[in-house]
Amino acid sequence: MRFDVDTYREIADSLVRNKSRSLLTGFGVFWGIFMLLFLIGGGKGLKQLITANFEGFATNTAIVVPLNTSKPWKGMKEGRSWQMTYTDIDRFRIMIPELETVTPVISKWGQEAVNGTNTIDANVKGVYADYCKIEEPSLKYGRYINEADVAQERKVCVIGKRIYTSLFPAGGDPCGTMIKVGPVYYQVIGVDYSAGNISINGSADEAVVVPLPVMQKIYHFGNNIGLLCTTGRSGVKMSQMEDRMRQVMAREHNFDPTDKNAMLVINTEQLFSIMDNLFTGLNFLIWLVGLGTILAGVIGVSNIMMVTVKERTTEIGIRRAIGATPRDILSQIIMESISLTIVAGSFGIVFAVQLLRLLEKIVNSRPDATAPVDFQIAFWTAIAAVALLTVLGVVAGLAPASRAMAIKPVDAMRDE
Amino acid sequence: MLIELKDVNKTYNNGQPLHVLKGINLSIDKGEFVSIMGASGSGKSTLLNIIGILDNYDTGEYYIDGRLIKGLSEKQAADYRNRLIGFIFQSFNLIGFKTAVENVELPLFYQGVSRSRRHALAMDYLDRLGLADWAGHYPNEMSGGQKQRVAIARALITNPKIILADEPTGALDSKTSEEVMQLLGKLNREEGVTIIVVTHESGVANCTDKIVHIKDGIIGRIEDNREHRASMFGTDTIMK
Repeated sequence: MRFDVDTYREIADSLVRNKSRSLLTGFGVFWGIFMLLFLIGGGKGLKQLITANFEGFATNTAIVVPLNTSKPWKGMKEGRSWQMTYTDIDRFRIMIPELETVTPVISKWGQEAVNGTNTIDANVKGVYADYCKIEEPSLKYGRYINEADVAQERKVCVIGKRIYTSLFPAGGDPCGTMIKVGPVYYQVIGVDYSAGNISINGSADEAVVVPLPVMQKIYHFGNNIGLLCTTGRSGVKMSQMEDRMRQVMAREHNFDPTDKNAMLVINTEQLFSIMDNLFTGLNFLIWLVGLGTILAGVIGVSNIMMVTVKERTTEIGIRRAIGATPRDILSQIIMESISLTIVAGSFGIVFAVQLLRLLEKIVNSRPDATAPVDFQIAFWTAIAAVALLTVLGVVAGLAPASRAMAIKPVDAMRDE
Repeated sequence: MLIELKDVNKTYNNGQPLHVLKGINLSIDKGEFVSIMGASGSGKSTLLNIIGILDNYDTGEYYIDGRLIKGLSEKQAADYRNRLIGFIFQSFNLIGFKTAVENVELPLFYQGVSRSRRHALAMDYLDRLGLADWAGHYPNEMSGGQKQRVAIARALITNPKIILADEPTGALDSKTSEEVMQLLGKLNREEGVTIIVVTHESGVANCTDKIVHIKDGIIGRIEDNREHRASMFGTDTIMK
């Protein structure tokens, strides 16, 4: 290959000479690379949008819910109901040491929260201080329920985002204010802005979280626990804990340990793995469609280069006659092919980046936007795309170039 | 001897084998102005292709300036064509999307001569052929005679040992043909360039100093034509 200004001028000339042809051929490559990058970026953003729903939620959580039995056991009929009690907390802690957190939740729906003239329906949740390890709060103001609140049974509460915006339309730090929830006044000690849409017993948005003993007394819950939330220590798979939990509970509460319906274990690990599979599938589709489209574009380039070589048989023959080596001809054709793919592909990259930027702007400026979503492809993805284009340009040029190299000067002259 | 062919044979194997050259023996010395004349099908084009290293021969030996030209690689053949031989074709064979000066530069481009130097040289040669004003024009903006002069400049620019002209007047009218032949003659006399012209026109052949007649693949008569009286049609002008 000769590195000469004229080499490049010649390539530019021959591409510009057939403007509409180059444009149409280039469009295939342009569209291919655009599709690939746009889909990659879009898929990434979509994944972030969806995983935002799981935000603040521990990934190795299992929630135990008592249901009615479906099998007879020890002379007792099926269809019995059973309840978990506070001793079950320590039972889990002792019998299954792999669990890091074991914490109960009790809740009451449809309690009216009032602050002055502002009211909203709220969902009151009673929790211990370690509940924050299950649903991680994202506090805008104040603090979360702590051990002292629980021990001294303080009438304090942490309110969700919707409760806050409804009761305090003027905004500002509400901590210290007394609000009435249900029959009792609580002092607001924190505002939880966590955005996740997964939640236990109602969304964190509409929750008023109070110390569990307070709630237990106000609403007469007695010794019964609604839900038991557990997280595993790091490296522990919650799906493997499920059977042991069932056995521990079955022995205590007298139901068949093989009765899967008697005790519901909601395992977030499974949910996350379903999500992961979904995204793996989506990614596969993205690459299939993207690469397929590029390939179609590249085949178009190869095709057109083939026509070009055929058209330029005489010209190539003349070049050979006056001293061009087959290598000169090869590099000329390949360079043309690379130039066409790279120029067209670069426009595709720029277009994809601009469109993703626009999309990012629109998505992030919607009114209920939470954490900003990142649609943009990585810088190195773009570099890799350029490298891919170069390789594809060479590949596209191979067949036409080998045909061009086969042209003998004598044949070319005879064409006249 | 600049060019020496010894018992050169060439057979085309397209279906029916066709023995085109049947033992060609030919010597051409430096500074000669030779025409190879023959009817179509006589093998003169094949001979020209072999002399121009555009085609291979089957048996025999072909020397340029003592170098045996046989079984060359494509790269070597291209290099020899570039440095030893300048081609002038019947249909000019200029590249249509390049200007006159760019066409003339092309052989030097393949030699790897720097851009400014080859441009200066090309302008120099165009100037010598009286085409300096036309340097920036494309072939389709020029007359046949001008195009052929550009082609001659392109053939001369590498300072080759041989100029091969294949029917150089085939696409020109008689007046222009005359001019082109006179130009070739002048180049031969004044610059000592060795020129081989292949033609079937006796008038064109008459302009050269030596006429090699080829018929059915065999060299026939070799005429000494320094008096330029070989053809009764060639005395005044080239008949068309």
